[in-house]
Amino acid sequence: MTTDTILEVKDLKTYFYTENGVIPSVDGVTFDIKKGETIAIVGESGSGKSVTSLSIMGLVGSPGKVAGGEILFEGKDITKISKREMRKLRGNEIAMIFQEPLTSLNPLFTVGNQISESIRLHQKASKEEAKKIAIEMLKKVGIPRAEKIYSSHPHLLSGGMRQRVMIAMALSCNPKLLIADEPTTALDVTIQAQILELMRNLSRENDTSIMLITHDLGVVAEMVDKVIVMYAGQVVEHTDVYTLFKDPKHPYTKGLLDSTPKIHELKEELQSIEGTVPPPGSIPVGCRFNTRCPYATEKCFSETPELTEVSPNHQVRCWLHEEGEVAI
Amino acid sequence: MGKFLVRRLLQIIPVLFIISFIVFCLVFVAGDPVALMLPEDASQEDIEQLRESLGLNEPFHIQYLTYMAGLFTLDFGESFRYNESALPIVLERLPATIELAIAAMVIAIVIAIPLGIWSATKQNSPVDLLATGGSVLWKAMPNFWLGIMLILLFSVTFGWFPVSGRGTFMHLILPAITLGTGIAAEMTRLIRSSMLEILNQDYIRTARSKGIRDFFVINKHAFRNALIPVVTITALQTSTVVGGTLITETVFSWPGLGQLLIQAVNTRDMAIVQASVFVIAFIVILMNLLADIIYKVLDPRIKYN
Repeated sequence: MTTDTILEVKDLKTYFYTENGVIPSVDGVTFDIKKGETIAIVGESGSGKSVTSLSIMGLVGSPGKVAGGEILFEGKDITKISKREMRKLRGNEIAMIFQEPLTSLNPLFTVGNQISESIRLHQKASKEEAKKIAIEMLKKVGIPRAEKIYSSHPHLLSGGMRQRVMIAMALSCNPKLLIADEPTTALDVTIQAQILELMRNLSRENDTSIMLITHDLGVVAEMVDKVIVMYAGQVVEHTDVYTLFKDPKHPYTKGLLDSTPKIHELKEELQSIEGTVPPPGSIPVGCRFNTRCPYATEKCFSETPELTEVSPNHQVRCWLHEEGEVAI
Repeated sequence: MGKFLVRRLLQIIPVLFIISFIVFCLVFVAGDPVALMLPEDASQEDIEQLRESLGLNEPFHIQYLTYMAGLFTLDFGESFRYNESALPIVLERLPATIELAIAAMVIAIVIAIPLGIWSATKQNSPVDLLATGGSVLWKAMPNFWLGIMLILLFSVTFGWFPVSGRGTFMHLILPAITLGTGIAAEMTRLIRSSMLEILNQDYIRTARSKGIRDFFVINKHAFRNALIPVVTITALQTSTVVGGTLITETVFSWPGLGQLLIQAVNTRDMAIVQASVFVIAFIVILMNLLADIIYKVLDPRIKYN
């Protein structure tokens, strides 16, 4: 591990122990994030990307738990530390923004109360100091009349404003890692762009690493350095953003790219990947994508492919690329 | 807020008006009290005379108008039994009932809040199963039966508490437990289900993601949200509590409004019945108003305009 690696996830397994058996939502995920780097985890609903982020936060709720692997934050395995130590990291060194700005703020407390809560907790600031920092943060995320918003309740703010508040809250303690779980999905397009730009600028300013969880490849192209494509709890492709768009190797990645509307191509019908992600618990034998893959061969139904390097910094989990380049 | 209060207070008037009409009708339908007031061998003449002196031979609408005329000056007429104006007798009994109700509510809150929160945070644990099972059992237990059992065990067998009556703090304990634990049983279930719902909300996850201790996540972020439906339902149940008070007071010979009302019904003491029901209705309305105010304090999203 190099010193500038902030987070290293090694063979992470997060399983849910339900009455109907063990469901492997995240099954052997490995990746790392360097200081100041922005990576994206891409995949459909049910691919395990949100559970991966909750595992890092230590917020996987019962009956789920991290069943194996390591999550090294600045070299320390945070799956093994005490609850108390984890709480010190959470909201302080690692912060998170959620998908639903409308429901992610407590309706009964003022915006100010909720932002200064973590400032007071982690920076041991007095009430007045916390208020000052909070108002400064609100100004930083571009909220007009920050003093007034500070003492407003969340229901008075729009979705975009609430997401700005969430960002202010998440960044108030200068975290080293910001996990953003579909931060713009619930917002309309113009607000999306503003929020993404805000995140990018703030992360540059403070050298914060960002782990962006999304299914929007437009967001990926705009924001990130590295992309991890997840399918049914596993990483299927892992590369830098240019390679991903220029030369996607995995049929699933290709399918995702093909199903993104392009502004210069006028198409009658948008392409889609047939079928859906297999529900956890009924994962097929062999390659997990075999039920939907147009290139699947016999081997894909019997043997499980490993994540292998096809070129420097480009890993793919697919039999098609096992023996060198195959054009798909 | 001020405007809202004035409007709500003005709303009380028509409600009380309707209630007093219903009570009047019920008492009218219930039959002639004269038969109960005179000895069995009283002559027809005596009966007629008493009826006339009480105004009971007048037709329905005249009796109602007389009653309403009195109502505007808060005069419910004289009690047949006490030969005194009814309202002061009722008001005299009120403090005893309020004392019992407050003691019961304190017991209910002290039991229900921690138990409800605890069983919600430890869903499906032995504690939760015991709390939910226990509250069903307790809720199913009739007040009068529980009261009698408590008297039998703690007053008769152990002699720790007085059997009945009011006076010292010791007198208060058994009736307050009888009434309070019943309310607690219902409240525990309410708080539990309300907490369970709130604990799954996105903002609870946000609070956890900030690194806040579970204790504060539960008691600050979740509980205040969970309290909103609890307050509403508890206030709506004031009338149930009043009903419980009637029974508990009778079992323990607690000299409150409930005991007075039940005696008055038995002796067809119309004036007392009307005055008591009027006072109880007034209290129930006030409690609902109070709930609305608490509601507003708890939830900034609610506006009264």
